[in-house]
Order: sequence, then C-alpha cells, then structure tokens
Amino acid sequence: MQNNVLLANYNPDLNTWDEMYENANVRKQYQGVLDFLQRLSIEELNKKEEQARRLFMSQGITFTVYSSGEGIEKIFPFDIIPRIITNTEWEHIENGIKQRLKALNLFLKDVYNEQFIINDGVIPAEMVYSCPHFVREMYGFPVPYDIYVHIAGIDLIRDSDGSFYILEDNLRTPSGVSYMLENREITKRLFPDLLPKNNVRTVLEYPAILHKNLVSLSPRQTANPTVVVLTPGIYNSAYFEHTTLARLMGVELVEGRDLVVDNLRVYMKTTVGLQQVDVIYRRVDDEFLDPLVFNQNSLLGVAGLMSAYRKGNVAIVNATGTGVADDKAIYTFVPAMIQYYLNEEPILKNVPTYQLGNLEERDHVFSNMNKMVIKKTNESGGYGMLMGNTATDEEIHTYKTEIAKDPRQFIAQPIISLSSAPCYMNGRLQPRRIDLRPYALCGPDGIEIVPGGLTRVALREGSLVVNSSQGGGSKDTWVLADKPERN
Amino acid sequence: MLSRVADSLYWMSRYMERSDGILRMLKMNYASSQDEFIEFSWQPVLKIFTYLEEDDAKAISNQTREVLQFMVTDKENANSVYNIVTQARENARSVQDHISKELWQCLNDFYHVMRNERLVQLLHQEDPITVLDDLIKHCLLYYGIADVTMARGEGISFMNIGKYLERGIQSSDILDVKFNSLGNDSDKNADITYWKYLLLSISGYQLYLKTYRSGFEARNVLEQIVLDDRFPRSVSYSINRLHIYFKRLKSERNASSYNQIDFMIGKLASKVQYSTPEAIMEQGLHQYLNEIISQLNGIGIALNEKYFAYS
Repeated sequence: MQNNVLLANYNPDLNTWDEMYENANVRKQYQGVLDFLQRLSIEELNKKEEQARRLFMSQGITFTVYSSGEGIEKIFPFDIIPRIITNTEWEHIENGIKQRLKALNLFLKDVYNEQFIINDGVIPAEMVYSCPHFVREMYGFPVPYDIYVHIAGIDLIRDSDGSFYILEDNLRTPSGVSYMLENREITKRLFPDLLPKNNVRTVLEYPAILHKNLVSLSPRQTANPTVVVLTPGIYNSAYFEHTTLARLMGVELVEGRDLVVDNLRVYMKTTVGLQQVDVIYRRVDDEFLDPLVFNQNSLLGVAGLMSAYRKGNVAIVNATGTGVADDKAIYTFVPAMIQYYLNEEPILKNVPTYQLGNLEERDHVFSNMNKMVIKKTNESGGYGMLMGNTATDEEIHTYKTEIAKDPRQFIAQPIISLSSAPCYMNGRLQPRRIDLRPYALCGPDGIEIVPGGLTRVALREGSLVVNSSQGGGSKDTWVLADKPERN
Repeated sequence: MLSRVADSLYWMSRYMERSDGILRMLKMNYASSQDEFIEFSWQPVLKIFTYLEEDDAKAISNQTREVLQFMVTDKENANSVYNIVTQARENARSVQDHISKELWQCLNDFYHVMRNERLVQLLHQEDPITVLDDLIKHCLLYYGIADVTMARGEGISFMNIGKYLERGIQSSDILDVKFNSLGNDSDKNADITYWKYLLLSISGYQLYLKTYRSGFEARNVLEQIVLDDRFPRSVSYSINRLHIYFKRLKSERNASSYNQIDFMIGKLASKVQYSTPEAIMEQGLHQYLNEIISQLNGIGIALNEKYFAYS
C-alpha cells in the first residue's frame, strides 16, 4: 500500500534548489528512501518520530536549560528524513574543502610569522590587526607540523542553481560533530536495513582519525602520550559532545580545574598524584584558556598554559589564534589566499561579500538593504545577524548607524536562498531550507574528511536561518557510494 | 584517574545506595503502618532522614501520603529521592567517559522517571508498595548493570568504596530508627510483624528464618543486621567490603595517604568484628551505631582530603 498523502503538499519554491525534486521529478538519489517511506503509514512515521525523541532523551543527548534553579532537558530538534548527497557532489565538496583548509593553514603560518601576504599587498595589514581574534602571543611561535587548524567545520550552502558556496569557515572550536555521529546511530534504529540498501558511506571512523592526529602531535616521544579533551564543564550546552568525543577516543575529559602548570609543563591531578599531559583538544575558547594571558577572570582555563604551549611542552588543538582566519572580514580574502599560496582557482566559491569600509560597496548595500544579510564579523551562531528582507525599518536604521560608526565590525552579503530538503512535519513531507557542515581533520599525513557531516535545517517555514540557537534542527547526512561498499 | 572523576564516581555510587536505602526504608515503614492499631508515627523516619524542624516533622508525622511525597518527590527536600537521584545523575553526567554507556542510560532513565509528573499522582492515589517497588527496581537495575558492564579498574573501586560506606551508614540508620521507635515497649519487642517487615525490606527475612529457629527476638535481629558477615546489608559486611575495595587502591605513589585510611578502616572493622550482641545492648545500641556512623563519616572526610582534593 502506498502512502500518497505524504507527498501531497510537497511544493518547493521554484527559485530554490530542492534536494529531492527536479521539475517535479524525484532525483535518483532520493528514490530509494522515498519508496521506503511511502510504504509506511502516518501512524508508523509518527511512531518513528517519537522513537527518535525517546532515544535522544534516554541517551542524554540533550542540553540543559536552567531556569528558576531547575534544569530542563532539551533535545536539539531532529528530522527523521535523511539528507542525501551523491558521490559526485561529495567529491567536489571534499576537494574544495581540502584546498581551502590547506590555504587557511598556510595563511595562519604566514600571518604569525613572515607575513608575506601582507607585504605583497594581498591582504591589508589593518584587516588582520583589527581582528579581535588575532593573538599576538602566537607571533613567531612554530606550531607542530605547521598545522594551526586541526579540526574545521566549514559551512556550505547551495544557491538556486545547485552550486555550492562557502558560507563561513569555522576554525576555532567548531561543534556539532557528535550530532553527525548520533544522528546516524538514530537512523540505524529508526530504519533498519535502509542504510546498507542505499549504499550509504559510514562516518564511524571520525573519532579514530581524530585520535590518531592528536597522538601524533605529542611533544614527548612516548608510546602512549596523554591526550585530553578540555571542556568548560557540564553546564556548557555542548557538554554532551565533549563527553562523547572523549568516550569514543578513550581519552580523559578534563576541566580547567583538573589541570595545573608546573615548571612549564601541564599536569592533571589524579588520585595518585600529578600526571603529565601531552596534547589538549580544547573546547574552550581562546579568551578563556589562560587567565594570565587572556581574560583574567576566567575560571575555565589553566594559569600558565600559554607559557607551557610556547615552550613546546604541550600541544593545543586547534592552535590559539586561529580565529583570525575565520573572521568574517578576512573571509572575503580566502579566494585570494588560495591563489596566492596554492596558485589554484578556488574549487568552492565564496558568497559575494561587501566590505562596508569601502564607500562604493557600502552605498550599494545601503540602497539594496532588502536583498542583503548583514553580519557582525566576530560573532557566530546566528547572533548579530540582520536579514534585510524581514527586518523592520527601525532595525535597518539602527544597523546603518552602527555600520557608519565602525564598518570593520560588519559585512554584507546578498541573501542566498539555501537549498531545500524534505522534512517530516504533521504527517507530510514539507520542504525546509538546509545547509551542510562537513568536518575536516588535518594531521601530519594530510587532510581527511569523513563522508558526511551535519545538515542543519531551518524548521520554520520560509526561514533561512539554520542555527540551533535560532530554532534550527538537524538531519542525518548521507553520502552515497558509487558502487556498493559491501557485498 | 583524575581526582575529580574519582570523586564523582564515589558520590554517584553513594547517592544511588542512598536512594535504594531510603526507598526500602519507606516501603518497610509504610507496610508496617498498615498493621498498626493506633496511629503510625513517621517521626523517627523524619528525624533521621530529613532536615525538618521537630515541629514541622510533627505536623505531618501521621499523614502517610504526605510523608511519602515529601521523602520521594519533594523538590524542596534536599534528601528526597528525587534530589538524590538528580545528584547521582549529575555526577554520572560528568564522568560519562568513565562509566559504561548502559550505566549512564540506566541512571538517565531513572532520572527521567523521577521527574515525571505522573509519579506524584501515583504516589498519591495508587498502592505505595507498587510505586516504591518500581523505583527500587531501577536501583537493582543499576547494581546489575554496574556489576556486569563496568571495567575492573580504579573507577569501580571508588564506586564500591562509596557504595559500601553508604550502606554501612544506611543499615545503621535503619536499625537505629526501628529500635528508637521501639523504646522500652516490651510488647512490641515480641511483635512478629514488626521485625518481619524490617527484615523483609532489606532482604534479610529468609536468612533470619534459617539462622534463628526460636522466632523473633530483638537480640537476634541486631546480631544479623550488625554482625552477620553472610548478610550483604549488615554493618560488618559493608565495612569488610569497604576494606577490600580500598585495598585495591594501594600504590607506591601515595603510600602515606593510603596507610592512614587503611588504618582507619581496619580499626573500625576490628571494632565490629569483636562486638557481641550482649555487649552492644549493654553499651546501648543507639550509642554504638552512632559511633560507627561517625567513624564511617571520618573515613569519608579522609578520602576527600587524600584522594579527591582537586581545587
């Protein structure tokens, strides 16, 4: 029996790339899943949705919102319909991200050492120095293997013609990879046999690759270096992710108070005394990492950590100061970096971006505000963003005044429509806008990207904002193999 | 192992043992309240297991349902099962990479059961024994999962240390409550149902029947709960287990801390080993039990200083 109601209301916007439909025909990659879904009744699908909710809750894949002294467990919304990427699309994405990350690491090495790119006039010096995430302490300090960004979560979107654009480079402490892993586990439970039948490539290798890279960074030549994950603690909204990564890699999860620096070495406090730490995968932002160097009121970090780091006695992942490369104003220059360092054409395009310091560009933006999105250069997570098409006159006015005061703090981009994908809502499939964040791992042997990533989805109809802090959810992300991976 | 992690495992385990102890104690007291001719008083329970002022305790001491709600689901009562399970789960949450996934999920599920509004309703309307038994099953599940899935390392030693330290305190408390409410009432002393419920609630009834053929006597009950090494809830058994698991922490690297605590536990174990029911009764059970509780607390404080201090 076929459930025809499911597709009855699926009408994607004509000016939008839809991942499932092409001129009202189902794309080949979605056919298998669609056939499967149409054999299920609405009751069964609703049951799957409820099952997913219970699995997240029971496993504690939650974040806690504290109000009036009591913690309330929340789940990041999960849509049960997978997002599907073909092998050809994936190869393009993979090559593009590898190229970009390579250039970004070269840029960081350059900007904290000889600064050829500034001296050659490719990037203006004031662009770099005005960035709040430029860390002077990193100047002239050789990081292991010249790798600054070991883990990148670069966001991609798809314009109406289907081509991929880089939306932003998250190079500091990108989060969400545990959802890539857990969403896949949930799909296995919801839809038995569906993954192997569709030749979906596995994402399971992520923790092993990450662990291999972390171990290789140990300054001590020892068979079994001590690797730790540094978390701000259980009240952090990404705590679940920190504990998941520590568990999957079999390494210690530590808080700042577990660590101490003595004689330029980092130790953790154990039941049998101090134990030296070799590699820290930190999920604490630069500014909270070491109260002696950064924010002196921070209790999350470790006093003296930066000195131990600069002495080469401990590796920090990602390196401090990487924020200068994912600053939204520097973003504009990444295509130029790729040409400058690699002498290659960028494989993945940037979203056109206007520098508001440039008067001509600013005038263009101001007279086309309804087609623009304005972003603060040093904020992330969808904060400090103005969508010109939905903002009130008053909001636009406030932003214009702010921009005129300090144009370096803002950039403008034309609103890109974002592709849509089917989501299960109220017994029907409905198109919702999505983006994609693959996780790239950079180690001494090169850059590896597990085939998959986090697909974030704007659950509100017509919304283009996918950030979880702004009402977004997520989907399992499938990358299909060309040929069956197993027999 | 990180000191903070050892601390959290120890407290997770203590809180779970405490939940189990309180739930069993409530079940036993509720059961015996159904057999009372005169009104049953919860006063001794409230005195030992809560921080209520005497007047506040008196106000609800005859209202069984109110006491059950206060002890199980009340959010304001720091020692309610609700709050204790929340504490256990918060500790577990911060050491998820050191406990098995199954153990974490079991604790997390228990937490969500405790938070469910329906529990308040059930406790108010349904048979309390059924409701309490369901909660006790979560504790039993936790024990089983911990035993079957946890790696035999330092972590499980700290969990067992917490568990048996807490159990020693719980068993002493439960016994103390019962003998306290007994007073010098010699009728009750011979009341079979009274002892039966106490032993049933801590799974000691069958052992008692097999050991003592002469019916129920306060002396024998005391002997089993304090001194019998075959009884897994006895004070003696708890302290011996505590000692065994503590010995597994022996290490060259912190010998002086180890020796100090080893001495404290050994001394307490000897004190119990060389007690007799007659000597205890002569000294006064209440005083004897209080000495044990205060020495167990002393061991807890020493563990905190020597093994868990991380700030």
